[in-house]
Amino acid sequence: MDQALLLALDAGSYILAIVLVAMGLVIIFGLMRVINMAHGELFLLGAYCVVAVEGAGGNFWLGLLLAPFAVGLVGLVVEQLVVRHVYHRFLDSILATWGLSIAIKQAVVLGFGPASQQVSLPIAGSLSLLGTDYPVYRLFIMAVSLAVVGFTFWIFFRSDFGLKARSVIANRDMAACLGINTRRLDRTTFAYGAALAGLAGAVMAPIMSVDPQMGLGFLVPAFLSILVGGSGHLAGALVGATVIGGTDSVTAALWSPVAAQIVVFTMAVIAIRLFPDGVVGKRRRQGRRFFGERR
Amino acid sequence: MTAARLGRVARQRLAEPAIWLAIALLPLWLGNWQVAQLAQFFTYGILALSLAFVWGQGGLLCFGQAVFFGIGAYGMSLVTLGMLPGQSGPGSSFLGLAVAVLLPAAFANLLGRFLFYGRGLQGAYLGIVTLAIAVIAERVAVNWDYLGGLNGLMNVPPFTLTIDGEARELWQPREVYYLTLGAAVFTYLLLRALIASRYGTVVRAIRDGAERVGFFGYDTAAYRATVFTVGAAVAGLAGGLFVTLFNFASPPLIGFTLSTEVLIWVALGGRGNLLAAFLGALVVRFLEDLLSERFDVYWLLLLGLLFVLSVVLFPRGIIGELLHRLGIGESE
Repeated sequence: MDQALLLALDAGSYILAIVLVAMGLVIIFGLMRVINMAHGELFLLGAYCVVAVEGAGGNFWLGLLLAPFAVGLVGLVVEQLVVRHVYHRFLDSILATWGLSIAIKQAVVLGFGPASQQVSLPIAGSLSLLGTDYPVYRLFIMAVSLAVVGFTFWIFFRSDFGLKARSVIANRDMAACLGINTRRLDRTTFAYGAALAGLAGAVMAPIMSVDPQMGLGFLVPAFLSILVGGSGHLAGALVGATVIGGTDSVTAALWSPVAAQIVVFTMAVIAIRLFPDGVVGKRRRQGRRFFGERR
Repeated sequence: MTAARLGRVARQRLAEPAIWLAIALLPLWLGNWQVAQLAQFFTYGILALSLAFVWGQGGLLCFGQAVFFGIGAYGMSLVTLGMLPGQSGPGSSFLGLAVAVLLPAAFANLLGRFLFYGRGLQGAYLGIVTLAIAVIAERVAVNWDYLGGLNGLMNVPPFTLTIDGEARELWQPREVYYLTLGAAVFTYLLLRALIASRYGTVVRAIRDGAERVGFFGYDTAAYRATVFTVGAAVAGLAGGLFVTLFNFASPPLIGFTLSTEVLIWVALGGRGNLLAAFLGALVVRFLEDLLSERFDVYWLLLLGLLFVLSVVLFPRGIIGELLHRLGIGESE
């Protein structure tokens, strides 16, 4: 029983970590049809933001607070300089952001060196849950992830900004005709997605080895989650992450972490092939039903 | 026919052979080390040709082209080391080359059938799926003891010709230079002929509007699967040759990193033009050797930025744009 609970907690922790990364990705993909391959590196920047703040004598929480803003700013710059030029060239957007990811990674290597950095655990100790001890910080990460999901859903379904964003997704030209500044919306959304990646990197930094390669480890599962769940749906990312993260954790516990990755990726490839619109997806027509049809 | 037009036709006809001839004459001026390096780059060039065909002509953005390169490399190694099940001794290099071409082709064909039939995958989805496949392939290679695991397969023999019953290993720089250059020219001509054929026209049409071509009664999925297969065969050839030069097959050859490198070569060179893609691989690898020792991290930073710049400003690729302005190479 303890074993099962521990497994469930581990799975939950991994799933919510993927969700945290996937949320930013799916927003950018949904609104702008841009596959942001540099997302893993924005995650990386978030983690290094904490490293930099700690190195300058600040504490972890300051870094955590700063990371989303710093990375969001990077997102703004990147959008202005590169991404807006490839909005209408779908495949090129993958390549351009891929090039960006290489450049950002190398910039980090230049700034901090290729070695891995340690970030101290800000909340030590563990909490007893139904007789199982579990690190408090992991629970904190899960809470952050849930809060981010809640906040994002609120923004997109209950705020003015979200209404505009969804109208742009539904029909960009018509939205522009109605006086919505689609250019500004794109910029803001990209920055928001980037900020989420930065927050994810910062919050995950203490439990990972922070090194320039860490971005890729989350990028691929996050992408697969989105495609498995259905890229035409904000909730798709949640479902996809549950499938991917859950299978990974269970297989890793029962078999081995290496086998888990092979199994999960293979499974994801098959799932994407069989359900191109995602397991929860309805048939999408040019992204018209993105973020569901609520309200 | 005016003189200007005559000049342009002559340039178009003669430029490509002239470029190949220039490459063939390079060893006259270069030292052994550079010649050997170039021989290796030619195999990368062949890999770039394969991706230029799959991506530039077929419109299939493949993030896992190195998977086929790696399968070719491992296939060649297994045959020439005599490690295939049921093999009594080391097999010949030609058998190895055949396996290096056919094995990835068969794999790609199965994969292509799976991916493209029905409501097939395309565009970004295909890119991400092939990316995942590259990661899987590398994991498998690292953890499969038969393939030597993390260490890979060592002591792969050089390409061996049997002349009058006498085995002769090709390992001198100038020998392997012309071996790989020959293979590159052969591949180039073959792909060029394919592109110029009716088949090539259909493939390009599918790239530009799969649905319309489907309405004409063409089986677009079948065409895509064959494009994928041909690309994999060529990539496998490159891998098979590479390992005879490098003498060592290891997981990085099959994985994600090489897959993305070849993507960069082809994007910088030019996806719409085979010669540009080939030269792209050569130039980037050459510059990398030249610059990476002194400027290590700056080089990759530069390459990344250059890549972004080229994607945004020169979708034809930097070399491709140049060749296009000069009117050299096949039409897109």
